[in-house]
Amino acid sequence: MTMSPDSPRRPPRARLFGIDRTSAGVERAVDEELRFHFDMTMRELMASGMNPEDARREAERRFGDVGLVRDRLAHIDRQRVGQEKRAEWWSGLAQDIRYAIRGMLLQPGFATVIVIALALGIGANATMFGIVDRLLFRPPAFLIAPERTHHLYFQRVVDGKVFTGISAQYQRFLDISESATTTEVIGAFSTRRVAVGVGEDTRELTLGAMSSSLWKMFNARPVLGRFFAAGEDKDIGGAHVVVLSHGYWLSKYAGSDSVLGKTMQIGAATYTVIGVAPRGFAATQLLTPSAFIPIGVSAAEDFGEMWKRYRTTYNITWLEIFARSKEGVTVEAMTADLTNAYRRSWEKQITVQPRTAPLTIAQPRVAVYPVFEERGPEPSADTKVAKWLFGVAVVVLLIACANVGNLLLGRALRRHREIAVRLALGVSRARLARQLLTESLLLAVIGAAAGLFVAQWGGQLLRATLMPQVEWDSAIADPRVLTFATLTALVAGLLAGLAPIFQSRRTDVAAALKAGAREGYSHRSLLRTSLLVMQAALSVILLVGAGLFVRSLQGVSAVDPGYDVDRLVWVEPRLRGAQLDSVRLKALQTSFVERAKQQPGVENATLALTVPFSQTYADDVFLPGADSASKVGETIQQGASTSYFATTGTRIVRGRAFTDEDRAGAPLVVIVSELMARALWPNQDAIGQCVKMSERTGPCRTVVGIAENTKFGNFGDDWNYVFYLPEAQLGTNHYTLFVRTRGNASESVDAVRRALQPLMPGAGYVTAKSMDALVSPSMRSWQLGATMFATFGGLALLLAALGLYGVIAHSVAQRTHEMGVRVALGARTSDVAGLVIRESVRIVSVGIALGIGGSLVASRWLAPLLFEVSPRDPMVLLAVIFTLMSVSLLASWLPAVRASRVDPAESLRAE
Amino acid sequence: MSTDLELLQGTLDLLVLKTLTWGPMHGYAVARWIRETTNDELHVEEGALYTALHRMEKRAWIAADWGVSENNRKARYYRLTAAGRRQLLGKSAAFERYAQAVFRILRTA
Repeated sequence: MTMSPDSPRRPPRARLFGIDRTSAGVERAVDEELRFHFDMTMRELMASGMNPEDARREAERRFGDVGLVRDRLAHIDRQRVGQEKRAEWWSGLAQDIRYAIRGMLLQPGFATVIVIALALGIGANATMFGIVDRLLFRPPAFLIAPERTHHLYFQRVVDGKVFTGISAQYQRFLDISESATTTEVIGAFSTRRVAVGVGEDTRELTLGAMSSSLWKMFNARPVLGRFFAAGEDKDIGGAHVVVLSHGYWLSKYAGSDSVLGKTMQIGAATYTVIGVAPRGFAATQLLTPSAFIPIGVSAAEDFGEMWKRYRTTYNITWLEIFARSKEGVTVEAMTADLTNAYRRSWEKQITVQPRTAPLTIAQPRVAVYPVFEERGPEPSADTKVAKWLFGVAVVVLLIACANVGNLLLGRALRRHREIAVRLALGVSRARLARQLLTESLLLAVIGAAAGLFVAQWGGQLLRATLMPQVEWDSAIADPRVLTFATLTALVAGLLAGLAPIFQSRRTDVAAALKAGAREGYSHRSLLRTSLLVMQAALSVILLVGAGLFVRSLQGVSAVDPGYDVDRLVWVEPRLRGAQLDSVRLKALQTSFVERAKQQPGVENATLALTVPFSQTYADDVFLPGADSASKVGETIQQGASTSYFATTGTRIVRGRAFTDEDRAGAPLVVIVSELMARALWPNQDAIGQCVKMSERTGPCRTVVGIAENTKFGNFGDDWNYVFYLPEAQLGTNHYTLFVRTRGNASESVDAVRRALQPLMPGAGYVTAKSMDALVSPSMRSWQLGATMFATFGGLALLLAALGLYGVIAHSVAQRTHEMGVRVALGARTSDVAGLVIRESVRIVSVGIALGIGGSLVASRWLAPLLFEVSPRDPMVLLAVIFTLMSVSLLASWLPAVRASRVDPAESLRAE
Repeated sequence: MSTDLELLQGTLDLLVLKTLTWGPMHGYAVARWIRETTNDELHVEEGALYTALHRMEKRAWIAADWGVSENNRKARYYRLTAAGRRQLLGKSAAFERYAQAVFRILRTA
């Protein structure tokens, strides 16, 4: 055994030769290794006396298949190099993260500010995403194949205009279910407020009436019992059965199994509990109904005697229809098929009701939309505002990113020399960029985690304000919100990291190293300034939005709807199936008014037909000689007691109010609103004119008074055409009660309800609401817009101010030497301070100009959501400019003071 | 030179690892060392030897660096890593147990 002569000699480090890790490099290395091997073998063999040719053959014999081995070695090495690269990437990442964490720990304040900025930005977005997602993007829980499930809208032409309606007739539902061929399931749904329970326990609940086919649209399993089956939902031969929602089952029956088979008084009938729906099941609704009942059975109860008429005719629309197409059927094919079914049903309608418009005129068509109403053709104002707020949240995030980018950039500038040194030492720019990116991404991830807490906390607050009745699940547990927050954090991290990376690419190594520490980087960075300008501009846009909404809210609040909202309680007697003849009903209504007036907190009371924001009675009006007066628009009819005007506070502008003389049998009288008087008798006195109601041949009613204009619908809409009739001269029986309280109405609601409840016969009951509760939801979209824009705008402004302060302070610190020179040359302290403040004002002015321009463009789309405010409202624009200017002064104040206190001797001696 | 001994699987790895305990070597030296030590009885095909070297390098049992050979040529030197040393201990113990078991049967038969 001899020692190999050429082995134990420590080889020099490999790096000196450089390692080429490309595929070609790997192959070259293998070739080189093998060449060395063959050279050595041949040399040894020739030394022992072989001729070169024999030596070569012997070497190859010893080796085996050279080509095959060479390929195998190259293959193994390529795999190894890949492994190494991955390992290095991960260890590099670990190193970057360690480096970033060390940096954060060294400057905890800096990191905290960044994390807070990102947390607010990401939190605001996660919150708004959660809301918008729930409203618009997420299909109802348990829904099978949401992409094939549609909400049917019915279009027909009336008076040359296309009218689109969501609600349909029971018979229409049956017709379409029968003749549609492209659908798998067609279901009907309708919600109703119904009295549930007996005696004191009676509560008005929202129930979902659904066809049994609708259950087939969901893959929900009952947690208890069963759902109702086909046939059980029919009005004839159906069953009085009810399926409880999970929430109601828990709250009312404590989640007990023994609830099955129990009976429930719903409306005027008794239902048997047969099952409990799973948690989160709300059928097609955003708000979970308390329970689900068979649609035909419940309709027969609800409509009472009228149902006999409605079940076969097409007179009343009250339900919504949903359909799931068969697999492979396109939306167009399904729409065509459903339109066909609709037309066939329309033909059937003509045979039942000959006065129906013919197909050629009505041109009935079905349009399909996503299941949620909010995504249909008529989303609510709340949804529109929510969409806007989501956009606003994105802007806040942009500002936060700009701000963080600016802070990171500031630090990158301070670390200018360090970066230059590292570049000089051979750290590649790509590696450096990755490190900066790691840092900003890490900050963003921490920010996102904190942002989720913001979302959880702020989200509850916001959602309670925005959609108080929706059953929200907790935000943090929601995987979609989590995904969204993570993605947002990544984007934010990338955006914020871009600025310093961009800066590091421009670093001129030689120049930076040559300059002294003081000269490190004294000229202002254009990038930093641009970021500041952008922040200021975006803040301006948000603040303009806030201002416009605040002005709208002011405008809406200042609107006098023509009745005293704060002092009125609306009382509705619910007979609950009790059959009263007109005499007894009249007596009951009279006793209601009398009993209400006797209450200590009550000033007055009246019967009324039309209830603002809730139910309006419209009727046609005719003038003698003229064809129809209804061309003025919808004319609303209000039946009123003699005490009506004193109760509601609606003023009589001319003529008189009703008196006890206006009873049945006395000359017929009417009071009209100012707007209506002007529309009907443009150049004449309305008092004394004759008006006919309902039909041309009706009796003349003499106008005895003109009342001030009122708004019974949305505040954003125009004044209504209203005419008032004394209830004594009007036959209708569906009266409700307005009660005028001495103090604030909302405090007396319950007292009024308790006082009147005992008057109800049988199982009847009374509901009472303050007028304010009826009116305020219609103001909510403005309230929401004002609050949220102001919150987000304030947030944006705060971030922008912080960013401005940071940059100005940094610039002052950099220019200490220059300031010292100026002071030494005789500049006054006010000159130096002015220099700093001017810099800040210059930046903000550019931002304001851009922001105002941007908001003028954006507010065109905002205009439909505003109330009587021009999107170019000069007051708002001026206020925003003033605010921004003040903030820029504030932000530069401290740095300016610091600059003016520069001691020239000290600053010049430094270094 | 008597009968050819076919190399059992894994045995080549063991031989290479053992050889490298003497210090860093290039592939040629490893091949020569094994040939001379076994008086060329094992007939290790050198292509298989290099495959074993590269495979073990991928598994990080051995590491390779470029170095300069005694005749001033650029050569790839392999050395044992800590993981390789552990492998050698484990594998040689297992091989010994295996060989003894085989011997016991051969002797009794």
